[in-house]
Order: sequence, then structure tokens, then C-alpha cells
Amino acid sequence: METAHNLLLGFSVALSGTNLLFCFIGALLGTLIGVLPGIGPLATVAMLLPVTFQLDPTAALVMLAGIYYGAQYGGSTTAILVNLPGESSSVITCLDGYQMARQGRAGSALAIAALGSLFAGCVSTLVIALFSAPLTALAQQFRPADYCGLMTFGLVAAVILARGSPLKAVAMVMLGLLLGLVGTDVNSGTTRYIMKMESLADGIGFVGVAMGLFGLAEIIKNLEEREHQRAVMAKIERLWPTLQDMKDSWRPVLRGTAVGSFLGVLPGGGALLSSFAAYTLEKRVSRTPERFGRGAIEGVASAESANNAGAQTSFIPLLTLGIPSNALIALMAGAMMMHGITPGPQVMTRNPDVYWGLIASMWIGNLMLVVINLPLIGVWVSLLKVPYRLLYLGITMFCCIGAYSLNNSVFDIQVAAVFAVLGYIFIKLDCEPAPLILGFILGPLLEENLRRAMLLSQGDWSVFVTQPISATFLLLSLVLAALIVVPNVRKTREAAFVAD
Amino acid sequence: MSTSISVPSRAALTGVIAGFLALPAAAATCPAGFPNKPIRFVVGFGAGGGTDVIGRAVANGIEKQQKWTVVVENKPGAGGGVLNSWLKAQAPDGYAIGVNGTDSVTINPAQANVGYEWQDFDYLGSGMQTWYALVALADRPYRDLPGLIAYAREKGRATISVNGVIGEILVKQLAKEYGVNLVPVPGTGAAEAMTAALGGHVDATTQGTLHVAQIRSGKMRQLVSLINRRVPYAPDSATLAEQGSKTPPLESHTFFMTPNGLSPEIKTCLKQAIDEAVNAPEYKAQMAKFDNEALNLGEDGNIEINRRLAAFYKDALGQK
Repeated sequence: METAHNLLLGFSVALSGTNLLFCFIGALLGTLIGVLPGIGPLATVAMLLPVTFQLDPTAALVMLAGIYYGAQYGGSTTAILVNLPGESSSVITCLDGYQMARQGRAGSALAIAALGSLFAGCVSTLVIALFSAPLTALAQQFRPADYCGLMTFGLVAAVILARGSPLKAVAMVMLGLLLGLVGTDVNSGTTRYIMKMESLADGIGFVGVAMGLFGLAEIIKNLEEREHQRAVMAKIERLWPTLQDMKDSWRPVLRGTAVGSFLGVLPGGGALLSSFAAYTLEKRVSRTPERFGRGAIEGVASAESANNAGAQTSFIPLLTLGIPSNALIALMAGAMMMHGITPGPQVMTRNPDVYWGLIASMWIGNLMLVVINLPLIGVWVSLLKVPYRLLYLGITMFCCIGAYSLNNSVFDIQVAAVFAVLGYIFIKLDCEPAPLILGFILGPLLEENLRRAMLLSQGDWSVFVTQPISATFLLLSLVLAALIVVPNVRKTREAAFVAD
Repeated sequence: MSTSISVPSRAALTGVIAGFLALPAAAATCPAGFPNKPIRFVVGFGAGGGTDVIGRAVANGIEKQQKWTVVVENKPGAGGGVLNSWLKAQAPDGYAIGVNGTDSVTINPAQANVGYEWQDFDYLGSGMQTWYALVALADRPYRDLPGLIAYAREKGRATISVNGVIGEILVKQLAKEYGVNLVPVPGTGAAEAMTAALGGHVDATTQGTLHVAQIRSGKMRQLVSLINRRVPYAPDSATLAEQGSKTPPLESHTFFMTPNGLSPEIKTCLKQAIDEAVNAPEYKAQMAKFDNEALNLGEDGNIEINRRLAAFYKDALGQK
């Protein structure tokens, strides 16, 4: 009853002329920057932050939030079309989305991504409105040892991401873990493997790694093929998903939304994990897991709905506790403070118009995004008709601009270049980059939480089995690992695929 | 301590006088032809963070008061270290001004061979002090520092999630001073330290800004103010010294720096411009929104703190 009343208040705020306008501007900007490879929402929000000081606080927050979830929509576009994940959350979309595009199904992939995101966005907004408090309480139950369990599970699941040899996938996860070690040791402050380059003191930048391994390496590979024999893109058959596509997608969307909504609430890396987790889940429950990584629409549907749900519920720790769960939300916290609103539990009672207005605007914004994105699908897909010798120049240029804009330094472009070469070698060796990326992201989180868990338990390793959450995840990891190594299960599946 | 208190008040006084003399269109005394191009403010942390906000607010004030063009950029990384390395290599012509924190010139060089020292820079003034505090959940059985110490003694230890090296060293100092087992739990930053404390996974946390909302909502209590005075949002929480501790309070300021060797005329000009901006009503109002206040320690004040803290952290981190 009270929630209904609050939501009404929220809608009355969000539907006012100015807020509606800024919601639209945010969603549009988000879509645009999401589409430009490398120029992420973080850089955009940072650049726009000073502008918002002149605005009314609700309008400012509505716009910034619009950029954030708008970029989630836009980011999937480059992932699908040119294999370029702009953000960690779109890495998974690349796996099947890009394959679909190569098969001439880019339109279907884009449409399902947009519709899945819309559904996830609407549901997770409702989750924020109704379950913020209990979800926060649940997230607070996660102690460092439990995070270790979760990360371990994530790393084991990373092997599933690969469609080829599990052994190679394990090797890639390990390599990712090693790369994640570069930087400053959190406990001692000592720098590791930075080779006297101060730019590496905070670790290797994610954008450079993802850009190089996925997008740029793919470009090198494509250029290697002769123009006439190049099978970069099959003929585009249709722009819209078929009825069968819809039928295949609705369950993955539901599951992805559920996974994303929950993992998004976990501070520190939760939202990051959501698309990985949702994809893994789909591949496990699928009767035809071998299709994943070869253009399965379920893969796109689950990953996209999960990352959008996660992006939205990661606002919960900010709204209920005043704690930003990632760098971008930290910027939004900064924006709130600039307007004299201290983020925290009292925002809901002291500034109900801002709080509920923001929540209601997410609904409206998601709707706007679909309205913006669906007609654009035709435009994006027709971009693929541009001759590749011209297209790749544009992509490379935007990648350089994007990488440079991260820290205003050439160093990030150099990182992308190094990883492009590495990515090309991986393609030649038939090693897939997704498990490496997951190891790279989860490794530092695992290490940090492991050391915190050990500090808190005074060096007693039994915490991992005595704490129920940690124990559950470790058990799940074992089951998953067993499923991967049982060879005949794999064999039959491979055989089934060949016979197909 | 007394020197560091008298310096800011003198600086503030000059600011007031300068403000009086130059009302309404304030203008710093500058050599002819300076500046003849835009001045760059390069912030050592990402956009949107506390340091960035201060840099932008002061840049804004200077643009209005002096009618100069000030461009704000960010060069984040390595706790302000990336900026310091870059700035050291720039020409000391007054057109490249770094916005960074005390810790970046005092703690970073003590931790590793970073290639710069605090002496490599000239300091033009500062904009704000970070008000660190030790806070705990309100339902914990201790209300102040002696209470926490007694709790640690009784339980054998107390865990404190820290927001950085500055908090970690402070916790170790307190442990040594009282002879109890206080365990600093490091993480990637203040948000994580706060999450651990709110979830009840640790007994207390050192914080710079995030705790203010928690104190206001009644969820947390400030056990002790870690700076040299009490703060307005927790007036009952006494300082370290008032609670009988000999551990020196934390001093972290956001300052404006150039590579050293700046000509005295340009230095005077920039110092005045910054002081006018920091003492402008708009800037003060902005700091009030952050539950903090405008504070310019001036050149001498910052040099004194940097000299003292650089020696202190060399000593503290060298013992590891």
C-alpha cells in the first residue's frame, strides 16, 4: 500500500517535463557512448558531472542513471556487431552475439538484447522498490570467506564459458589470474610485476585488455583473410527475431533477470558476475549446450537481461547504505553530495521525491531505451554493409580514443595494442579469451577476500567450510568441476553436435 | 601541533584582508602578461571524487574572480602518484598545477621508490582537510576509544577495517600505544571498509567521509575524532588527545602544487588566486554540503606538514 503510494509519488516526479527530458537525454547519451567502443559510461558521467551541478538534483540523478543503464543497452550493440565489449558486462554478449551477427542474425540478436534488457530493467526496478531492505540485509551476510566461495565458483564456471578444450580454458583462467596479480598489493602496499611503470600500479586496465583480446584481435584476424573470400558477415536475412527466437529466449530472460537482480546487490564485483553467472546457468540447463558460443540466442538473452538487472540493482547499496558498489555509482554518490543529499539510509525519508523519482525514472528510461534502440537496429546492421577495409579503420580509431579517454594517457592504448597481438596469438592457438577475462576480473577480488578472511579468522582455514554461504558455493564448485571432468558426458554431447 | 594550528589562521587572515582590499572584483597581484594562456589544473584522482570536486570548485572560483581560463583534467592512478611523476617532469612555469593529497607526497615515497619526494614540488595552498574518524556500529558495547581498547583487551583482539595506509598505520600505532591486539583489515578502499563494518564483520572502521551519513541515520557512532579537533556532526566525540591518547592526529589536506622552481612573482600570484577562491562564499557553501569546511594552510603550512609526515611515514613503513 505504502509502496504503491510511494511509486505514485515517484511517477509524478519522474513524469514532470524537465525530468522526462533529462531522462531522455541520459538514455540517448548512454546509448551513443555505449555504441562507441571504449568510451564507457564512467568517462561520460565524469565529464558530465560538472554540468549537472546547475540542475535540480532529481533531474541530475535521473540523467546520470539514464547514461548508466543506457550504456548497458548500447554496449551490447558493439559486442554483437564487431565483437567489442565496451564493459566487463558485455564480454559474455560477444560470445554468442557476434557469432549470430556472422551468421546474418545481427538484427535478431540486437532485438532480443533490447527486449531482454527492457524486461530485466522493469523487473529489477520493481525489486529495488519492494525488496531493497531485505536484499541489503542478505548482501551484508556475505563475509570475506563467502566472497571467496563465490569467486571460486565463478572461476570454475569460467571453464564452462569455453566451447573448446577444457584444458585450454583452465590455462586461460590461470593466465587471467596471473595478469590480475599485476599492481599494488592491497595488504602491504608493495607493487608487483609493474616493471617500473607507474601506470601499472593500479593493475592492468580492464578496457585495454578486453578491447585488445576481443575487438582488435578479431580485426587482425579478419584482415588476414582475402577480401573476396572473407566471410566476415553472412547476408543479413531479417532484422527481427523469429517466433522461434522469442520462444527460445523467454526462459533465459527470466532466469537472467533473477540471477542479475540478486548478484547486482552484492557490493564489490557482484554486478560484474551477473552476466557470467546467467550464461553459465543457461549453458548448464540447456539440452544443447554445444550450441553456446556458436550463436545461441539463449546466450545473448540471458547475459543481456542479467547485466541490465545487475546494473540496476547495484544501486541498492547506495540507496540503502550510502555505499557505492562500483566506480560509476561512486560518481553518482558524488553528484548527490554536490546537491547536498548525503547518500545513505535517510535519503528515502528525507528526500522521498528524489528517491522514488529516481526509481520511477528507471522504468520510464528503460521504455525510452527500447523506443530509441529498436528503430536503430536497422541503422546499426546496415553499418555492417560498409566495406570492412573502411569499417575497421573507424573501429580502431574509436578504440584508441576510448582507451585514451580512460585516464588521459597513451598508456591505455599501448595496453590495448599489446593485448591485440596476444589475442591474435590466442586465436591462432584456438584459446578463447573469455575465461582469461573472468580470471583477470575475479583473481584480485578472490585474493583480497581470501586475505581478509584469513586476517579475520586469525589464519584458521576452517571458516570456508563452517560458514554456510561459503560452504555452499564451494560444494557447488566441486559439483561443477566434476561435471566438467566427467569425460563421457562431454563426448556424447560433442558427438550429438557433429551429427547435427 | 601548535605551529600547524597558527599557520592556517594566519593564512585565513591574509585571505580576509586580501578580500577586503580587493572587493568586489578580487584580483591577485600577478606579473604582467601572466597568464597568457589557459592554466591546467591536473587532478591526481578520478573525476567525481573528493579531490576532483575541490579542484573543480577552486578552478571555477579562480575563473570568476581572476577572469582566467582554468582547464581541469584528471590523471588518476597509484594514489595520486601518476600525477606526481608526471608533474615533476613539467616546466615550472605556473601553467601546470597539480591537485593532490598530502598522502601522495608523504606515504607513496615511503612505500616504494616512486621517483619523487615532497621536496620536488612547490605548494601554493590547500582547499580542505579530510576529517578522519574511527567509527563503529551504534549497538556495539563501546562508545569511545578507551571502551574499544577495553573490549579488545577482554576479547583478545579487535578488528578494524581501514580505508587505506593512513588508517592502517594509525591502528598499529594505537595497538602499540595501548599494548592491545588491534588488527587492521585492509581492502581496496573506504567503501569496502564501510561495508565490512556495517555488516558487523569487523569491530570498527576508519573513515573519511562515508561515515557521516551513517552517524546521521543513527546506525553508527563515532568513537574518536582522528583529526586535531571535534567535528560538527559528532560534537560529543572527543579527539585522540582528549581521550588520553598520545597518537598524533591525522593530517590529510587537498593541496595545489607545481614542479619546484616556480618564479617568486608567479608563485605569489597563484597563491593569492587560490586563497581568494578557497575563501569565496560559493566554495565555502560547497564544502558545507560535504559536511566539511574550506581550509587553506598556505604554502608554509603545507610544507611543514609534508616535511613532518614524510619523515614519520618513512620511519613507520621502514620498520616493516
